[in-house]
Amino acid sequence: MAALTAKDFDAIKTSVQDGAKNWIRVGMSTCGIAAGAGKIYRALEEEISRQGQSVSLRTCGCLGMCYAEPLVEVCIEGLPRVVYCRVTEDCAREIVRGHVMGRKLLQDYILAMHYEEAFS
Amino acid sequence: MSDKTVLLQDTTAGIATGTNDFFGVFKAALRESNLADNVRLVRVADMGVYNQGVVMTILPENITYANVEVHDIKRIIGVTLKHGNPVKDLLYQPKFRQMRLVLKNCGRLDPGSIDDYIATDGYRALLKAVEQKTPEDVIAELKNSGLRGRGGGGYSTGLKWQFTREAEGETKYVICNADEGDPGAYMDRSVLEGNPHSVIEGMLLAGYAIGSSQGFFYIRAEYPLAIERVQKALDQARDRGLLGANILGSAFSMDIEIRLGAGAFVCGEETALIASIEGKRGTPVPRPPYPSVRGLWGMPTCINNVETLANVAPIILHGADWFAGIGTSSSKGTKVFALTGKVRNSGLVEVPMGTTLRDIVFDIGGGIASGKKFKAVQTGGPSGGVIPEKYLDTPVDYDTLQKLGSIMGSGGMIVMDEDDCMVDIAKFYIKFCVEESCGKCAPCRIGGYQILHILEGITQGRGTLQDLDRLILIARAMKMGSLCGLGQTAANPVISTLTYFEDEYREHIVNRRCPARKCKALLQFSIIRHQCKKCGLCARACPENAITGDREHGYTIDTDKCIHCGMCFDVCKFSAVERI
Repeated sequence: MAALTAKDFDAIKTSVQDGAKNWIRVGMSTCGIAAGAGKIYRALEEEISRQGQSVSLRTCGCLGMCYAEPLVEVCIEGLPRVVYCRVTEDCAREIVRGHVMGRKLLQDYILAMHYEEAFS
Repeated sequence: MSDKTVLLQDTTAGIATGTNDFFGVFKAALRESNLADNVRLVRVADMGVYNQGVVMTILPENITYANVEVHDIKRIIGVTLKHGNPVKDLLYQPKFRQMRLVLKNCGRLDPGSIDDYIATDGYRALLKAVEQKTPEDVIAELKNSGLRGRGGGGYSTGLKWQFTREAEGETKYVICNADEGDPGAYMDRSVLEGNPHSVIEGMLLAGYAIGSSQGFFYIRAEYPLAIERVQKALDQARDRGLLGANILGSAFSMDIEIRLGAGAFVCGEETALIASIEGKRGTPVPRPPYPSVRGLWGMPTCINNVETLANVAPIILHGADWFAGIGTSSSKGTKVFALTGKVRNSGLVEVPMGTTLRDIVFDIGGGIASGKKFKAVQTGGPSGGVIPEKYLDTPVDYDTLQKLGSIMGSGGMIVMDEDDCMVDIAKFYIKFCVEESCGKCAPCRIGGYQILHILEGITQGRGTLQDLDRLILIARAMKMGSLCGLGQTAANPVISTLTYFEDEYREHIVNRRCPARKCKALLQFSIIRHQCKKCGLCARACPENAITGDREHGYTIDTDKCIHCGMCFDVCKFSAVERI
């Protein structure tokens, strides 16, 4: 790939931000994987393709709430962005059916997080 | 009217008994007000707010109420859900105790995508440095920011860079110390796994500042995922011209490679780490000369810890003043802690320096998991100490922790409750240091072993009061005579537990009793007659056949035969085995 130059920075930022508006992210650091995030990722992948959804499925690092792993963050336009915790395979399938397709937030799995960001 | 979401946390007592089904009542009230279709009512798993009764957050206004009672529902529906206004007397401001700087994008971006990192203003600090700043400017910025090494020592990062820059040498090196080895600490692993590019950018800035063209990651082989992700990130960076010759079109060139460590604790010590990279046995050498003058292959070398390097890019991007505005007068910025042990929410927390231990353990960590009594928190790993409850309100920074006989260390924080025996804890840490001692110098090699020997005696009922003086004597000798930090600090857990919990040591020695009931050799087991159901489970479980009797007359434990293994205590379903 071509070497990055100063003017590429804004273009990359715009293209990432304009990327998928509907996405699911699975925490896949050692803590998440130990808690079964690999299985959860596969369950989500299967259910998304079975239901023919176009939601973007990605991995990310550790959010810090290791006690509540596996963590799955879901962003669907029109719904608040939420983090589901202690996700099971059944819950993963329900995320696709209920949250992505049914546009409903799942009961009893949301983890609220409180922190401020040091810079924006 | 627009859609609203209500995130609700019922009280656990209410859910368990079913007597106070707040969720159900709220749902019925919504139906009555014809709002059922417009309001999403969601019960959450964890709101992060504890002991505040029913808590709810209403979106999109982001209004949070706590201690909500059933009779408040009408007002909430009328004022907030219908008109978007807050009910003032119920408002609750969740305390934002955490501040994310190092972890900001950890868990928010794909560590395998360099574009994701660039989109969060990644590599912009590097661009700013090579385009607008001289290496001296970068060092000055670091010095003014007050950033201190996050690996344990707490030395000024800016000064370290300056010394390396000023030192003479035909070539210079940057090393990222990712040999994280403290028991219970995994902050650096998470940063490397979650946002590897942030550390690479920090290394590039270090290289630019000190005039180096070669960097090394020293990562322990026990971190395979971190190694894989850092390697991928390095490949991507090289692919995009962020590593190699003429980075971002400037005159600055640098490459970075990974070197694996075999997981020896002593290799986190900088001179031992350098020896390990050189292919030699990982043992320390006396300092000075410091690595900034004579380091890797005899050349000036700048060694920084993972978290330190992850702080660098934000400082260059947002300025020293911004960074110096966070934290206390002597310790700037934030610190990531790995909160583990008996705490309810174990995980990574990042707080501004100066946050109190109480806030970290009780507000963020949610307190003791079992509801038992808090006893102490251990910071700084095998080089640190324990901090008892009376000092919980101490603001955490490098200097306050040192005054309390502990250290900031790399950020491990292990919470202990009343079931933890402090002599046992001291024994655990000294055992760790005995196993990890490289054996090069006598004070560490012999002193550590002797301390362990004495502590084992105390936990097995062979201790004498003279042992306490002996412990202090050996600890002092280790501190003064050891070659490197491992030996100099290895006795810290012993000294600090002795300082704060001397009573517990004396109880072991004088009364041959372990107050926490942890030291098995000191426990006496007996069967409580009236609670015993004569099932015989204990007799069958006893490996020494020390429990005799039958199902008719009940069972007794022969204390002479008993080896204090605790099997009978563990198997008894009726709590009929007593241990004192």
